[in-house]
Amino acid sequence: MMEILRMVVVLSLITGLSGFILSTIKVATDPIIEVQVLANVQGPALKQVLMQATNDPIADRKQLTLPGTEQEVLVFPSMKDGKLQAVAIEGAGPGYGGDVNVIVGFDVSADTVLGISVTTHKETPGLGTRIQENAFTKQFRSKDPAKATLKKDGGDIDAISGVTVSSVAVTDAVKQAAGWYAALKDTIKTTW
Amino acid sequence: MATMMQEFTKGLWKEIPPFRLVLGLCPVLAVTNSAENGLGMGAAVIFVLTLSNVIISLVRKIIPKKVRIVGFIAIAASLVVTVEMLMQAFAYPLYQQLGIFVPLIVVNCIILGRAEGFASKNPPHMALADGLGMGIGFTISLTFIGSIRESLGAGTLFGVDLFGPSFEPFTFMVQAPGAFISLGLILAGMNFFTAWQAKRNGVELDPNFDAGCRGCAACKGLEKIVNQKKLERLESAKS
Amino acid sequence: MDIFLLFISAIFVNNIILAQYLGLCPYLGCSKEKSVSIGMGCAVTFVMFMATLLTYLMQKNVLIPFNLGYLQTIAFILVIASLVQFVEMFLKKMVPPLYKSLGIFLPLITTNCAVLGVAIMVHRKELDITTSLLFSVASGLGFILAIVVMASIRERFEISRIPRAMKGVPIGLVMAGIMSLAFMAFKGMI
Repeated sequence: MMEILRMVVVLSLITGLSGFILSTIKVATDPIIEVQVLANVQGPALKQVLMQATNDPIADRKQLTLPGTEQEVLVFPSMKDGKLQAVAIEGAGPGYGGDVNVIVGFDVSADTVLGISVTTHKETPGLGTRIQENAFTKQFRSKDPAKATLKKDGGDIDAISGVTVSSVAVTDAVKQAAGWYAALKDTIKTTW
Repeated sequence: MATMMQEFTKGLWKEIPPFRLVLGLCPVLAVTNSAENGLGMGAAVIFVLTLSNVIISLVRKIIPKKVRIVGFIAIAASLVVTVEMLMQAFAYPLYQQLGIFVPLIVVNCIILGRAEGFASKNPPHMALADGLGMGIGFTISLTFIGSIRESLGAGTLFGVDLFGPSFEPFTFMVQAPGAFISLGLILAGMNFFTAWQAKRNGVELDPNFDAGCRGCAACKGLEKIVNQKKLERLESAKS
Repeated sequence: MDIFLLFISAIFVNNIILAQYLGLCPYLGCSKEKSVSIGMGCAVTFVMFMATLLTYLMQKNVLIPFNLGYLQTIAFILVIASLVQFVEMFLKKMVPPLYKSLGIFLPLITTNCAVLGVAIMVHRKELDITTSLLFSVASGLGFILAIVVMASIRERFEISRIPRAMKGVPIGLVMAGIMSLAFMAFKGMI
């Protein structure tokens, strides 16, 4: 009986102590990890989309609440000489292997798509991955968000032949980001 | 002091993992497609192995014998989670590269093998020397394999171009088959060298000199079973 | 169709040993005898299936709701360790013949990285529960395939003349390399 009691006490002590230490480390590293993930996953895409930015879009990012709901959207601003030029929002669309996440940049004065860049996806290598190619993504530049759908859906974008599902996923992601942008437009202009 | 030095240096050559002590092969093969990844994985293993050795040695008299393995696993796993978080915070690209093999450090036999085979029987300063030595030895091996595979498979070393544009990379080396074959050949080279050295010094060669997974506590029991099954098969073949 | 593809790809294309480098210790340690390798393969497949099921439920019902995702590694390994212990006790009491053939392998499986690897992988791939379980079975079958083929080859090694330095693990690894090269050909299938 004593032995069992000892086992239980020692094991609970070990797990309890390690749980305490781990949660302390977790609290300490959490903000650093968040910035690191953004810099490494969204960072390259943001650089491509917000080429003109003279500020650091990741450091200046803000969580904005969609009007009328409680959903929060992460918005990355791009400033030039202290003035807001464009914002980037990440949207997602269901693709062949899972969600395709796309960073979409919006020109604040013209309300057009500035450019898009795929951040994470699980599409088939060599096939679905072609949505990352410039030949496809450059079609979105300076487009009215309403026209940023595939031609078969009445838009201006050519789907990559044989990769329709992944192409639709990208336009869906752009549509989602555009919807959020439209809803947040007034908040964005007063935030930065 | 002298013995502490001995415990430290044995990990660097005499029992260098995984070449002499075949332990924890999975990360050895999986993350060595470049020298940098090998070095990063090695650093993570040094951290976990040294600390787990010291902690286990400190608590070796408190932990009841029956639950010691579970206790060791819990300690090692906490250290691995710590490494995971530190790596995400300070070396995120490396964390992405190593992927699933960071959490898998916890089941690397090198951690439990040293805990069971050394730290649970020796005082903390010895365990520290052993863990540090084994960890550094492991890092040297990983970086060595990584350098070979990266230089032949991609023509670069730590990302620096080695042979110029005329070199056609030997892509096979950075993929799975190259990993298996290079490690196999390195182990064979180590065995050959040991045999040659023994012959030159006129020492009787230990019949079990060649690298095997005897270092792994788990595999020890297995050897018996395998031999027994082998005898059974040979018997039935005779009759 | 997708599930079928996943199944085939987990067995052949992304074979857990030959393409993902998981579970190498039992692969080299237990592949000297065919009968031993079959036992080990079955034990690994069984534990892998159970572990994936339990850790999946744990992740979805405990870790995520309480925001403890960062404790995944420690939680999973403790679940697997207790699972193995429990299965061992259960078989010993209830099904002695099965215990006699599989029991010896069970303690070795706790530290088999293939089991923990698959349990973590299904979450990184964001699979749902059915696909996760199928994936774990397929990975187990891939393990059996690789280890049994390897054991059949290694039984032949005993009567062939291999250089002294290559005997044992080195020739095993080179063989694994050649097999992995052959398995790479399956990549064209998908």
